[in-house]
Amino acid sequence: MEGVRVLDFTRYIAGPYTTRLLADYGAEVIKIQTKRMAVGVESNEENIFFTWNRNKKSITLDLELPEARDLALKLVGLSDIVVENFSPRVMANWQMDYQRLLHVKKQIIMLSMSGMGQTGPWKDKIAFGPTIQALCGLTYMTSHKGEPPMGLGYSYADIVSGLYGALSILAALETRDKTGLGQHIDLSEYESACTMLGPTLMGAFAGSERVVPMGNRSSDVQAAPYGCYRCLGEDRWCVVAVYNEEEWRALLGVLGDPEWGSWKIFESLSAREKHLGTLDQLVGEWMSGQRAEDAADRLQEAGVHAGVVQNAADLAVDPQLEANGFFSSMEHPILGEVPCDTYPIKFNEYEPGSWKPSPKLGDANGYVFGELLGLPEETIDLYVQQGIIS
Amino acid sequence: MLDLANETAGYCTKILADLGARVIRVEKPQGDDARKRGPFIENSSGAKESLSFLNDNINKENITLNLFSEKGREIFRRLITKIDILVETFPPGLLVDLDLDCESLRSLNPGLIHASVTPFGDRGPRKHYKACDLVLSAYGGQMKVCGSPDGSPLKVHGNQSFYSGSLFAAIAVLLALRKRARTGMGDHLKISLQGSVTATLEHVVFRHFMEGSVPQRKGSLHWNDAFVVLPCKDGFVQASLFQKWETLIEWLEADKAAEDLADPRWLDAELRRQSIGHILDVLGRWTRKKSVQELFELGQLMRFPWAPVNAPERVLTCPQLGAREFFAWGLCAATGIPTKFPGIPFRVNGRTSRPPKAASSPGEDNERIYLQELGLSRYEFAQLQGHGVI
Repeated sequence: MEGVRVLDFTRYIAGPYTTRLLADYGAEVIKIQTKRMAVGVESNEENIFFTWNRNKKSITLDLELPEARDLALKLVGLSDIVVENFSPRVMANWQMDYQRLLHVKKQIIMLSMSGMGQTGPWKDKIAFGPTIQALCGLTYMTSHKGEPPMGLGYSYADIVSGLYGALSILAALETRDKTGLGQHIDLSEYESACTMLGPTLMGAFAGSERVVPMGNRSSDVQAAPYGCYRCLGEDRWCVVAVYNEEEWRALLGVLGDPEWGSWKIFESLSAREKHLGTLDQLVGEWMSGQRAEDAADRLQEAGVHAGVVQNAADLAVDPQLEANGFFSSMEHPILGEVPCDTYPIKFNEYEPGSWKPSPKLGDANGYVFGELLGLPEETIDLYVQQGIIS
Repeated sequence: MLDLANETAGYCTKILADLGARVIRVEKPQGDDARKRGPFIENSSGAKESLSFLNDNINKENITLNLFSEKGREIFRRLITKIDILVETFPPGLLVDLDLDCESLRSLNPGLIHASVTPFGDRGPRKHYKACDLVLSAYGGQMKVCGSPDGSPLKVHGNQSFYSGSLFAAIAVLLALRKRARTGMGDHLKISLQGSVTATLEHVVFRHFMEGSVPQRKGSLHWNDAFVVLPCKDGFVQASLFQKWETLIEWLEADKAAEDLADPRWLDAELRRQSIGHILDVLGRWTRKKSVQELFELGQLMRFPWAPVNAPERVLTCPQLGAREFFAWGLCAATGIPTKFPGIPFRVNGRTSRPPKAASSPGEDNERIYLQELGLSRYEFAQLQGHGVI
């Protein structure tokens, strides 16, 4: 993404995730902040800000002021991409909607990300990650059968939307390279989340039975045993999934060929599915005397799908993530060097550049207003005094 | 593009096909095992079709080819010279054994972009571990932070590792395309599904690295206590707890349900956090007497990010998704039944993605691609069919 300039109006998680990806892969991302709003989770001093805004530059512009918006428009003229995740009316009220941006730069690519999309009867509704997850069915379905809905407990939908944002921009750049034309992308976080349970939604439409939550039961392929079992230690668990008779025999082998393995009620996959409760108890009894890592490794060695339920401390030292270059590090102003997660993507012949920490508020004001826009220092000082560059 | 991905990454090229790429799916002559995964749609004569297969593979052309025969590999090498991108999910090392490793393919086509999506990456102690979404969700760290605190870890519904992995893979492909436009050279991209889970956990990894925390599951309470699911008289509502507290209490007071929460000491967010159980008790008593719809509509009018916890069938009839034309009709080839498909979650210049065509059956485009495009003779074609190569 070297040579691509992004003018970044986004805040919170979803929008900054998109622009962070672009920055991580080499784009110059100029994040527009304002002192008034750089508080709470939007404060440059917060860890959450540090995470979502690495590799970006910060300028300050109080977009409530028309002179600030004029400067922003000038910057549009020098940018390839504009990303915003305001409520749909905001950019239009500021006279910075796509039609207006087109006047400034014909090839501009503008990505508008919002909860519901730019159109539709719900376009002005307020949504954060959990709102979206509830609307799209994910919260309802991430529950145990017959129990109140649980949901995810974190904002997965924001990251998914962020990924689609990056994807749509990369596709738009492809189009621009071929046609010379930009485009306006209207991304809905609600729709993004819906695509993460496409088959479920299709099943609700086309299937004969009501779609209900399955907890930790297999909902797409027959499997038994299939579940999460408590192991030795403090909240340590192992998951197991057995899909056929070969794997079933392998499982029994690891468990020491218990007598119950030859019970008639377990003689086939279908039979085992019918008696899953009993099977769970028996497998669970064995598991409760094992360390999760030992159980998972021994089962995997025997050819059974099994895994450790890893926590954040496990992830930090996971040899698999390490081997695949998942972690890097950044320089934090107070904590010093801190590890950070990167991407589950490895190129053979490309390494993303250094992982630079997130910017201080307005740290690129001199560069952007002085160098890029060529404003003399006195003008910049005046704008600062007038609260325009602020 | 040639798509040899199984169910773990079929969605990657589906999005790219929706964006205009020409995707040719390659299945073994008997048809892909991914076609056997539920949920299913069934017609009155008993013909079944996999909805997850349809979701991931509509919009693709389809040929059959047996890569485990020498002749099949020869044909594959010829196909490689005519394409830009290859996406596959073979276990690490398999293509090397088949003499179809990335180096040899790129010697035939230096511009080839080869994306290998695997459960754990192509190196590391667990690279050959058997994986399904349950195992990936466990190792990836997602199950640990989901579920009831006094119950077991809970896997998020659906095959999230496959879908998030597919998004990362699609992004990687587009990044590689940009690089190729500059250098003329392709690359080998490696995408890890476990890494895709870890990379989409929002707060979990960075809070561990920067604050030393090891996040635990909290039921339907959000990790930072800001959101929760509350019971209503006719369902459940996704509510927020820390925004506009005073407005919320005004509402409760109007319903004479505020109890002691009207006391000004509760304005202190930290106190609310410490007494979250009490807050939830009081709010729950209030919401149990209300309907989901009323809480959603009035809550949104007050600018709360509240939403109904929708079952999947409610999502299908959502007026917002209807107005956005998010679902499109498509035909299932095997059953002849039309069904609704989710589209891509963004519009370009106001237009939705291209509508799905009917889903292909295995080898539906064999004649056109092998005879017309690859230039095989009828005799050769018949021979290959006879020998199970096609």
